[in-house]
Amino acid sequence: MKVITYTCPYVPAEWIAAHGLSPSRLLLDHVDSASMFIRTEGVCPFVRSFISEVVKNKNAAGIITTTVCDQMRRAFDIIVRKCELPAFLMNVPNTWQNPESQQLYIDELKRLSLFLVSLGGKLPQNDVLIKIMFKYDSARKSILAAGEYLSSRQYAEAIAAFGQNGTDQNTDLAISTKRQANCVPLAIIGGPFMKQDFALFDMIEQSGGRIVLDATETGERGMCTRFNSHRLHEDPIMELASAYFGGIQDASRRPNQELYKWLQREIVTRDVQGIIFHRYVWCDMWHAELRHLKDWTDLPVLDIDTTGDNETDEYRTENRIHAFLEMLQ
Amino acid sequence: VSDIPKQITLEEWDMRYKQLEKADAYQPAYGGLLSRHVKDGDQRLLNLRFDNSSAALRLWNFLLTEEDRLHEARSVSRKIVGTMKDLGTVPVMAYCFENVVAFYPDGAWWIPCIMELGAGLLEIADSLGIDESFCPVRAMLGAFVTEAHFPIPDLLICSVGATCDDFSAIAQRLNSLGHFIFWWEIPHRRNPEPGETIVNLPGGFLAPKGQVEFVKSQLERIKTALEELAGEKLNEQKLSTGIQEANHVRRLLNELRYLTFTAKQCPLPALEMLIAEMLAIHFCSDRQETINVLKELLEEVKSRVHAGKGVLNADAARIFWINPVADLQVMNLLEDCGGRICGTEYLFTHALDEISEDLPSLEALAQMALADPMAGSSVDRAQRICTDINRFGSEAVIISRIPGASHCALEGRTIAEIVQERFGIPVLEIEVPPVTDSMRPTVRTRLEALIETVKAQRNKEKIKRRKE
Repeated sequence: MKVITYTCPYVPAEWIAAHGLSPSRLLLDHVDSASMFIRTEGVCPFVRSFISEVVKNKNAAGIITTTVCDQMRRAFDIIVRKCELPAFLMNVPNTWQNPESQQLYIDELKRLSLFLVSLGGKLPQNDVLIKIMFKYDSARKSILAAGEYLSSRQYAEAIAAFGQNGTDQNTDLAISTKRQANCVPLAIIGGPFMKQDFALFDMIEQSGGRIVLDATETGERGMCTRFNSHRLHEDPIMELASAYFGGIQDASRRPNQELYKWLQREIVTRDVQGIIFHRYVWCDMWHAELRHLKDWTDLPVLDIDTTGDNETDEYRTENRIHAFLEMLQ
Repeated sequence: VSDIPKQITLEEWDMRYKQLEKADAYQPAYGGLLSRHVKDGDQRLLNLRFDNSSAALRLWNFLLTEEDRLHEARSVSRKIVGTMKDLGTVPVMAYCFENVVAFYPDGAWWIPCIMELGAGLLEIADSLGIDESFCPVRAMLGAFVTEAHFPIPDLLICSVGATCDDFSAIAQRLNSLGHFIFWWEIPHRRNPEPGETIVNLPGGFLAPKGQVEFVKSQLERIKTALEELAGEKLNEQKLSTGIQEANHVRRLLNELRYLTFTAKQCPLPALEMLIAEMLAIHFCSDRQETINVLKELLEEVKSRVHAGKGVLNADAARIFWINPVADLQVMNLLEDCGGRICGTEYLFTHALDEISEDLPSLEALAQMALADPMAGSSVDRAQRICTDINRFGSEAVIISRIPGASHCALEGRTIAEIVQERFGIPVLEIEVPPVTDSMRPTVRTRLEALIETVKAQRNKEKIKRRKE
């Protein structure tokens, strides 16, 4: 089956799968972020890695980028000039509160459909889409339920693997690990993770903490909301848009107060005692939220910024996390 | 009064001003000695060189008294709209109302330069978590906090979507500080898909009809918000008149640009041209006076071109400049190094292109908004730049990076590649912070190297022609 890759959480995997194609949300590699550019200053490491991955990717039949962030939007310009891979730029509005923006998102899904058909996909019938949406919804439900029994790293990796492999992954998540007692419950908030970033979960556990809320883009925050069975049967595309465009809260939204409402709810529910804020250097959207987050919450916040390709990052981060948890214990 | 065009210092301007006064030269109400603005903290003026025409004096005084006009508008209960990021669209609508004045708080990005960092705006932005990794437009946050530079607007309208992340993030930070913002969406402009109705936008770009309709729906929302603020209905007639007035400004500017960029000898310096172009985006808070200022400048340029006079050497290298500079002094520096501006793309070409007067007004404005070079791809932008390079006969391109700006890090390379593929002319990328003093030698060396390259190329071509 032809693989269609993307990174943005607002791209619905179900929509790609319903076209008979295989959706794969890329999990990028730090090491790629150093290549490709002569000058790296000012370019987000995630974007650098993304361009590098796409240019060398031999397995994908197509790539989807979105307009959620400016540098990703401009990465598309580079991709279409530098590689042969068919690429599609999906307009995902930053505004969300008016019907026109919601309709724009739906129109973009329909335009995406034309792209997918041009790559060999089949225009989906409603019954096919509904079936796939149920399948994905059920898989997401299983992963979310398994969160209780997995280490925070396993849980985060399970979510990322679901993004990468969809419902084809081995969903045997019953591997119960021995979880440490008396760990400080923490939230991790920020943009997307790259492969190496999952080591953060280990660092945190080794220092006596545990991530109980993964509010990164690669984690729970980047998952769409559950589908409503009734609405799904009535109008599956509308329900898909509602769960993704209406359900995923992000720093890029204007205004973005819904992100804070979501965080508030989850932080209270999970009894979070501290927040780790993870961001890439040159990611303006998340960087600008840091001070606001600190003003907004009474919880201690640790800022972990990374250039993505610097070995000293790891030691510095480890030390900072250790000190943060010493303070909290 | 000597009419030999030249660039003069602030001190020289004061002497010249007295001569103009004696000669009973016309001065508008906001006129006066340029040096008085230094007392307000505009220290950078001491380090700039200005055109010596009375038209340029009027331009500078008009620019430097905008804050007074905004405060005056507030004092007579006119509604003030802070329009952000779209650079040219919303003000056309706002100035259709009797009692509304619109300005760009984004313009605060020049305050650190003009006041040589003396206003402390960047420090305030730092304290709010918006540090130097963001574009200097972060100074806007400081200006909102101090309220020392413009009155807090009655309504803030900000475009998001296909904009730079810096501005979007900074505007959101402003929102989180308690300033309500009316957000509207400008989608990424894309080429029409097969089967979609194609719309030719101003500036030569294409877009599908659906995108124009979408932007129109956003402008309808803005129109309603403005009507509620002004307590006045904005009918088609008023909007159409507003477009005609905006087009009047644009036509004057287009003529000014064409004459200046194509004249054998440069008739008006880069700095004055930059400021003149900036007037198009929100008319410096007075649309009619913008027209008057531009008319006088145009007359001056016409008379200089007619007389074969200019402010620079005739052999100055013809440079196309991309992106506005955070430090105005760099425009002087280019001329010191032997260059002149022959073509610009300061991120608001859509505010210079004429708006269609044959379409329903909101549709015409939607087309204009979509023609924003920032809303489309870097490739589109590069192609527009190529068209203008061809039109103005530019011999080299300078891409002036804005420190921290999300778009500059990636688009420069694409633009440079396309320009070089098309024309084979040299392209230089430099970064210009709000005050360049500490890096002036480096910037100077780079500019000199570019200009030497241009002149060496000219010599090669001369020799080649002779041989032929």
